[in-house]
Amino acid sequence: MADYTLLYILFAPFLGAIVLLFVPNRQALQVRLVAAIAAGISLLASFYLFFAYDPVKGGFQFVQRFEWSKELGIAFYLGVDGIGTPLVLASAILLFAGIFISWHIKDRTKEFYIFLLILAAATIGVFMSLDLFFLYFFYEMSVLPMYVLLGVWGSHTKGYLEMKDPEGLKQRDSVGFIFNFAANSKEYAAMKLTLFLSAGAVVALLGILLIYKFSGLHTFDILVLREQAKFSGNLATIIWLLVFFGFASIAPIWPLHSWSPVGHAAAPAATSMLHAGVLMKLGHFSIIRVAFEILPETTRELMPIAAFLCVFSIIYGGFVAYYAKDTKYVIGYSSSSHMGYVFLGMAALDYISLSGAVLYMFAHALATGMLFAMAGWVYDQTHSRDIPSLGGLVNRMPFVAGCFLVACMASIGMPGTVNFIAEVMILVGSWNRYPFQVIVAVVGIVLTMAYLFRMMRGLFYGPMDSQYSHAHDAVAWYDRLPLLLMIACSITFGIFPGHFYNVIRAGTDPLVSRIMQVVPLAAQNGDALRVTRDASRKQADNVSPVARHPSLVTRHEGTNDL
Amino acid sequence: MTFNLTLSGSDLLLMLPELLLTVWLCVVLIVDFAMPRLPKDRLAYLSVGGLAAVLLNLIWFDRADVTGTLFANMFVVDRLAVFFKIMIVAATILVVLISVDYVRKFRFFKGEYYFLVLMSALGMMFMASANDLLSVFITLEFSTFGFYVLVAYLRDDVASNEAGLKFFILGVFVAGVLAYGISLVFGETGKLVFSDIAAAQPTTGLVIGFLLIFAALGFKIGAVPFHSWIPDTYHGAPTPVTAFLSIAPKGAAFAILLRMFMVSLATLKPAWVLLLVGASILSMTYGNIVAIAQKNIKRLLAYSGIAQIGNILIGLAAGTKMGGDAILFYLLTYLFANLGAFAVVIAVGNLIQSDEIEDYSGLNRRSPFLAMAMLVFLLSLAGVPPLAGFIGKLYIFVAAINEGLYTLLIVGLINIVISMYYYLIVVKKMYINEPIDPSPLYVSAPMKAVIYVGLAGTLILGVYPRPFIDWAVSATLMFSQFAAPAASAVPPAVLPFGG
Repeated sequence: MADYTLLYILFAPFLGAIVLLFVPNRQALQVRLVAAIAAGISLLASFYLFFAYDPVKGGFQFVQRFEWSKELGIAFYLGVDGIGTPLVLASAILLFAGIFISWHIKDRTKEFYIFLLILAAATIGVFMSLDLFFLYFFYEMSVLPMYVLLGVWGSHTKGYLEMKDPEGLKQRDSVGFIFNFAANSKEYAAMKLTLFLSAGAVVALLGILLIYKFSGLHTFDILVLREQAKFSGNLATIIWLLVFFGFASIAPIWPLHSWSPVGHAAAPAATSMLHAGVLMKLGHFSIIRVAFEILPETTRELMPIAAFLCVFSIIYGGFVAYYAKDTKYVIGYSSSSHMGYVFLGMAALDYISLSGAVLYMFAHALATGMLFAMAGWVYDQTHSRDIPSLGGLVNRMPFVAGCFLVACMASIGMPGTVNFIAEVMILVGSWNRYPFQVIVAVVGIVLTMAYLFRMMRGLFYGPMDSQYSHAHDAVAWYDRLPLLLMIACSITFGIFPGHFYNVIRAGTDPLVSRIMQVVPLAAQNGDALRVTRDASRKQADNVSPVARHPSLVTRHEGTNDL
Repeated sequence: MTFNLTLSGSDLLLMLPELLLTVWLCVVLIVDFAMPRLPKDRLAYLSVGGLAAVLLNLIWFDRADVTGTLFANMFVVDRLAVFFKIMIVAATILVVLISVDYVRKFRFFKGEYYFLVLMSALGMMFMASANDLLSVFITLEFSTFGFYVLVAYLRDDVASNEAGLKFFILGVFVAGVLAYGISLVFGETGKLVFSDIAAAQPTTGLVIGFLLIFAALGFKIGAVPFHSWIPDTYHGAPTPVTAFLSIAPKGAAFAILLRMFMVSLATLKPAWVLLLVGASILSMTYGNIVAIAQKNIKRLLAYSGIAQIGNILIGLAAGTKMGGDAILFYLLTYLFANLGAFAVVIAVGNLIQSDEIEDYSGLNRRSPFLAMAMLVFLLSLAGVPPLAGFIGKLYIFVAAINEGLYTLLIVGLINIVISMYYYLIVVKKMYINEPIDPSPLYVSAPMKAVIYVGLAGTLILGVYPRPFIDWAVSATLMFSQFAAPAASAVPPAVLPFGG
């Protein structure tokens, strides 16, 4: 195929990083411009990709395939469907915004942008990969730049946990650091994040290798595996659990979340944005790509695990966010709470809820990106993230305060933002199957409102400490551009979700049908049953995806599951 | 048994690379004696020139597919031998280049250093061609001989002397073990050539003999429990020698191990798989866990080297042609990443006179190039994409899972995470910590060249490994007839599609 859009999106940041190697470190402006141009190409191409994706045709489009190694059965195989497209777009938007957000970084600017570009390009690569090998390749590649970004340009986390050893010197070097939960230096956060994610990745890799071996197809090609690989019994369960918990550790699902708020809080603003905005979605996306596509039947049987755990994610994250004093901890825990919604939407395995989950990933990327950007701005100006000590900044930075309000609204799911649509879709779609979880999720929304407005009040209203009187608003175009870009996207897609919705449904509908209609191996002799199912499936296909009522299918098929 | 030692011209052609190198090392020695005023750097470039000629010769052998045997099957030239020889010669070229700055610090015998490096390389080239147990013994001792001297080269340095002594005493002991093992095998079978032994019935004597030979080779590659010489020797030896020692002899020893396990012992596979699985698990786990506690970068790389050997042993334990391919490919990635890392260590050591990890603090501020290079090499050793080490590890794992070696696979995967910790500690020092002395560091030209080669190799093998995988696959074609797919560690029921 002659359409190289995906290659442009993927390789523009990589090439930007390579070009940056040859730009002298002292030319900070040149460095920023090169990074901005690389990200800009990626952004434009991904907007084109988004609007050129044909939801009627569906399936994987813009496919690129190059043989990479016959010996191992690996192809460099790219393509996007309705799930990958919005996430590629979200990554490109956040990368572009992140480059401007970090415009003021003075220490080792060049290296910062190199690592940021590699991080973003790798995440984009995951969303495009149709080969398990490359999915893992980009996934693991996106983890490592985080270490350096956090460690070098991050900041020590304060306020939330008492720091016994202010410089954290001893803890940073101790072997038993991972058990040392009192350490909150940035080095600790970086190491914990990297090791957690690597451990998760390794677990997922084991699952992937088992898929490779037991499919017997000698290929990592997801499409081939999806059509031809058959797994059953304990093997399927083991693979599914490995893949699910391996990837869910980055998502992060409740008991595996502890790296994430620490990491968010320590990271520089642009990195937090990318991290919370897209890196966490790698988990959900990879679960959809690997577990949902290749093991549909097991997914139907085991996805209640996610429905169970997401309750803890939502409530636990929400309450910790309410009591946290550090702005970035609030946003970090809010992210890990909101990721519970995505798990809920995925677990319900309903047409509406799954597409809602995908839309929520996009919406959350923008909302949380804005929040982190603004928390980063406040931190840059005041050198404080301690909510009780801040206050009254609205007089110093009205523009930022206004944007912050919009971001809070978006994060809560105010009508008019894309988050609203996504949230409603998840809640409505999950109601039939998991009414309890939906109630919890609604409570979670109330909590979100509580902690975000508490933070809003704490930062921008009330009396202002005189030491912050030098704080500036975002005035320059390069400071305002990223905020306006993210707000514009959030509101535009919130008011005109039509194309967006169709694109996502084109990706999720076939997936849900496949998962819900797979005939269990035990019932394979009941041919009559199968025929009627096929017939109803065909009927369902004739109706437009929007008009089709999905919960019917859910009710029919879901009875033997719970 | 009689040896037919009549040689024709075309027979000698098979030994052309070795003959060339022999002539050349004599030339280097004579130039050193005859022209005492000549700066010793020139000798380094003279050696590189000769090695480059040998390398070209070997590449020609590889392209033209030159094969044959000499001296009643003692010396074999096949694709596998040529692959390893190319690797050894390439490693030697890089080692000579990274030695240039270091050798200037020696007080005596600067010229002889290059001679000894070339001599060791020659020994290892013969090792790659060894096709019977007698030539294994001779070539192994020949290649180690040069190293005994090289390790103790800093004669004013106590650590270097200790390293040399340790290496020598253990090495001599192991030579005895090897000779004993060979004599047992010969006594049981009356044969020495690998492929002849394959037909022998397994008797107790034969098994003990091979265990002894494995112990000797395990010493050479530094697998647990034969690793005890590695940390002190690596630490005390001149750093370029450590770099050489960490890659070239291991490659050569793996050539012998591959021939021994996949040809001579192919039929006994179910028995030796357990042995190799044990050695591999021990090496990986021990190497990685002990590396965490290291304060010296050379010791850290020594222990990480032990762990890497454990990884390579996974491929050997798989015992298939694919396992062999994976080993060859892994050794290539290891060559670039490890030599590159040592090149950075030497560059930093030359500039700040220290190998302590603590002194790498703020390296990124002092020399962004060295820090970035070290980052790439360490991450490649840890197995992070898109670097070569990741492909190498994945290749090994795929070979292992095809044989159903799940325990080994899981231990290997866990070890990736463990190893990441100590590699990242070095990264942390370089990038996050602030330098005590912020003066910038400048890297000399030959050093830079080696680091660039290492970077290029690490990136190209990681992003576009296809030609190299193809090369490794073609180098092990001879094993496809020996590796018996049925003799696997798992019952056939779990293995629906074979190896």
